[in-house]
Amino acid sequence: MKTVESEIGAILTGAISAITQRSIFNRLGGLASLPIAQLTAQDRLSVMRELENSIRLFARTNSAELIAACSRVLSSGGPAAAAEPGSFSKKLAIELEKDIATARLEAWSEAVRIGLSKFSSVKVATAVSELARNIIFYAGKGTVELRSIKDERGASLQIVASDQGPGIEPSRLDEIWSGTYKSQRGMGKGLAAVKKLVDEFQLDTGPGRGTTVTCLFRGER
Amino acid sequence: MELDLPIIQIRNCLLVSIQTELHDQLALNLQASLMERVRNVGALGIILDVSAVEIIDSYITRILNDIGKSVRYMGAECYIVGIRPAVAMTLIEMGVELDAVNTALNLDLALEKLELLQQ
Repeated sequence: MKTVESEIGAILTGAISAITQRSIFNRLGGLASLPIAQLTAQDRLSVMRELENSIRLFARTNSAELIAACSRVLSSGGPAAAAEPGSFSKKLAIELEKDIATARLEAWSEAVRIGLSKFSSVKVATAVSELARNIIFYAGKGTVELRSIKDERGASLQIVASDQGPGIEPSRLDEIWSGTYKSQRGMGKGLAAVKKLVDEFQLDTGPGRGTTVTCLFRGER
Repeated sequence: MELDLPIIQIRNCLLVSIQTELHDQLALNLQASLMERVRNVGALGIILDVSAVEIIDSYITRILNDIGKSVRYMGAECYIVGIRPAVAMTLIEMGVELDAVNTALNLDLALEKLELLQQ
């Protein structure tokens, strides 16, 4: 029988020691021994939450891939899983420096989950890292929204980074695109770098308007 | 929050393995303590192992370049080792350059190159 413990254990073996796995499954309590097909949506959420924390703590590398693999296994089978829509959306608050890392990891897991290649997933995470960092540096706080669409035409991931900060002056924008802008804390190349990484890029900004960057990654056909 | 990374000395090289998120303060502390150690022990090489770093964005690049420049002023060479293939490709695509540091595939090769330098 495919239980949470047997299936997740198979994924974690090699990345997390048997003893640590034991303690993870102990924390899951009764959920660990349930067959995956019997999990409710709520169960899946609690299991994923525990796994995400533990994997980030204990797996030395490839934590995003492990998390994505666990999420795939948990949502396979079961009537609730079949009813899940093909699109997904998640809005993350960016207020502290640590939120940059969280956003990056969320974006990576989502990219892996919808089947983008390993390289594309790193690009997605890097772009989100740049955008979230810009929010912290220049606006103080804002949000990053991840929207993924998976249908018969393939998978794509949209990232919307938005803040109510000072906005970017048109003259400053010219410097940014030409690569002559120098920032105090970073390289001043973040926004231009994101534009080069993504398949579609849209910027809405101006003094007093805040800044919204919308970009799209398309999966390989 | 963790504010200092351990710096290991091997002969006259200093080694730092970056396993955690490099935030502002941590990066500044690292730069300062590396410079201090370079002066105190007369180190000729600094090796930063980034093999556990899954994402390098323009901000981290700036930090690495700054460290490279500052220790170069003191006569030491900085080597970044263990950059992952996807990270390297992403940096190229972004047009962001790691130009103030040297690179090597792994720790072993970096030590070899630094030893050659000293002969």
